[in-house]
Amino acid sequence: MNGFKAGRRAVLGGLAAAPYIGQARAQGTSPSGDPYIVGTLFPMSGPNAEYGSVFTAGAALAVQHINADSMLRRPVRIQAEDTQALPQQAVVGMTKLVNVDRAHYVLSAFTAVSKAVAPVGDRAKTVMVNGGAVGPDLSGLSPYFWNVIPLAHLETQALLPFMMQRNLKRVALVYVDDPLGDAILGILRTALPQVGGSLVGQFSVPRTAQQFAPVAARIRQTRPDAVYIASFGAQQSQIIKQLRDNGVSQPLVSYSAMNIDSVRTLTEAEGLIFTTQSTDFEGGDAVTRRFATDFKARHNADPGTYQVNYYNAVRLFGLLAQSLERENAEVNGENLRRVLLAQREFDLVGGKGRFDELGNMSAALQITEIRGGRLVKVG
Amino acid sequence: MLLLQLLLQGLQVGALYALTAAGFALIFGATRIFHFAHGSAFTLAGYTFLFATQAGWPWYLGGLAGVVVATLFGLGIYWFVYRPIQRHEGSFFTVFVAAFGVGIVVQNLIGMFAGRGFASVDTPLSRAVEVLPDVYLAEVFWVAIGLSLLLFLLLTLFLTRHNAGVALRALHQNPDLLRAYGLSSTKLSLLAFAVGSALAAPAAILTAMTSGLNEAIGHQVMLISMAATIVGGVGSLRGAALAGLMLGVAEAVALSFVDTQWAEAVSFLVLFAFIIFRPSGIFGITQAR
Repeated sequence: MNGFKAGRRAVLGGLAAAPYIGQARAQGTSPSGDPYIVGTLFPMSGPNAEYGSVFTAGAALAVQHINADSMLRRPVRIQAEDTQALPQQAVVGMTKLVNVDRAHYVLSAFTAVSKAVAPVGDRAKTVMVNGGAVGPDLSGLSPYFWNVIPLAHLETQALLPFMMQRNLKRVALVYVDDPLGDAILGILRTALPQVGGSLVGQFSVPRTAQQFAPVAARIRQTRPDAVYIASFGAQQSQIIKQLRDNGVSQPLVSYSAMNIDSVRTLTEAEGLIFTTQSTDFEGGDAVTRRFATDFKARHNADPGTYQVNYYNAVRLFGLLAQSLERENAEVNGENLRRVLLAQREFDLVGGKGRFDELGNMSAALQITEIRGGRLVKVG
Repeated sequence: MLLLQLLLQGLQVGALYALTAAGFALIFGATRIFHFAHGSAFTLAGYTFLFATQAGWPWYLGGLAGVVVATLFGLGIYWFVYRPIQRHEGSFFTVFVAAFGVGIVVQNLIGMFAGRGFASVDTPLSRAVEVLPDVYLAEVFWVAIGLSLLLFLLLTLFLTRHNAGVALRALHQNPDLLRAYGLSSTKLSLLAFAVGSALAAPAAILTAMTSGLNEAIGHQVMLISMAATIVGGVGSLRGAALAGLMLGVAEAVALSFVDTQWAEAVSFLVLFAFIIFRPSGIFGITQAR
């Protein structure tokens, strides 16, 4: 029997993403024929599921816009696979997307997940685009693996001079024991001494750890000026809360993963400093303004960095596929890459998106502080 | 001072582990049902308290609501899931899979209704202050220790002095004899699920205040409960409670000697040590075969 069989992860992922995908599909009636499949490898359940909802919201809005504008001859459809942010689940999901769903383009997130699925996509010559993970080794992972987010080394390059200006020189690091955490540890080890700082303590925590009061006791002993947190999902909020509850009063600093509602609204996150991408929604170009207006109309909230990134990732597919349709060329990984390298510059949310030869998009960064539950630009 | 700090933190976490593990051990000991969805009772109680406090309810009403929801969940899962399965074939594996499925459903329902992110109850009780040089303690420490002691005292009195409690212990030891005396094992199983699930609520409420909740927290709770039940001796309530406390303390105090990433592994080293050197657990009874 060759009929379609939905896996548990696909069903769960589909159910979790359904509110977003349904709205996206409802708009796309003009294009006809078999849809282009944009696969998503996001955590739709488990402790990192908040990211899955955020990422999907951005991607779904882009699909809605592409279909509504009849940008392509065929409609675009999202096929969600729930990874739970785990590499094993992600490889299963990616294999299904490539071999069963015949996905034309796959959206990935999380460093460990992205590194795990890249060989699968590479073998199938399926383009994978990351808009959420920041591990520096995601650059050049495969010719078919692109990044629409600045990676961690760029974020720390922006943050460290700012920290030195504020005299936050002695840094303790709490990092999750996975490729992302290891990458940030490596960066801080080398970059801090170069700017006049020092790494006074490094505390690795397992991905499943929930208790950080003892870690706070160890951090206090190192007498740091600031504590850098390199984690994600529910765990990063738990770390912030428990460090603050247990006598760590020094400034907390981090990277763009903190740009989610559960951190922003956390009382203990007041004063948290982290790097994010800089996007001017009001004074920007027409693409940016349309994105911001429609996002607010649909979600009754301002868009965040991740929604921008995954909107851009899908819009990039629309623009590349449009070029290929004009050439009457097949929309596949090889051709998508060829057009990307030929054009390099695209009209995306936030302005012109420029890609290097490895498929990394450059983006402006800013330093943000949480004040009264709001994000305030401080550098 | 670091050792004292870690010991105090370990006692606080261990007290919560003990309450959760005791609930699981009570249910497993009395009914022999591997109630994998015990973590869901914990999660539901925590989120109920969270919603109640967000809605402006006084803490005691929120706490009561958490206990009620956990209890109703325990009663419901026994009546609508385990009992029908046991009536037909009742294999251990079928019950386990059903419980696992219920856990997944609860996790996703909470994710849908409460959001898929971190949530916590903001309270000054969890803010630690320096009580000795470089030793920080929050008021919630005393609440956790005091509440655990009180609940274990009440539970012990119930199981030793009250007829229903004595019958529960008998259900564990000889269910056939119990039925011969005309007692209903179904009613006693319901009682075990009610009391066991209710015991998870205080731990969930205190967890919502200290380390916070997410919809997937139930799995972690179950892991600790299972480990404590095995270390304490399967069927032994006091063993599970003591083992829960021990695991919490071991996890924290281990940081004096090992790197932070090994803290969780220490719990499981303790578990392996018991499985190898004392398979019957702290208070378990060795049975000759």
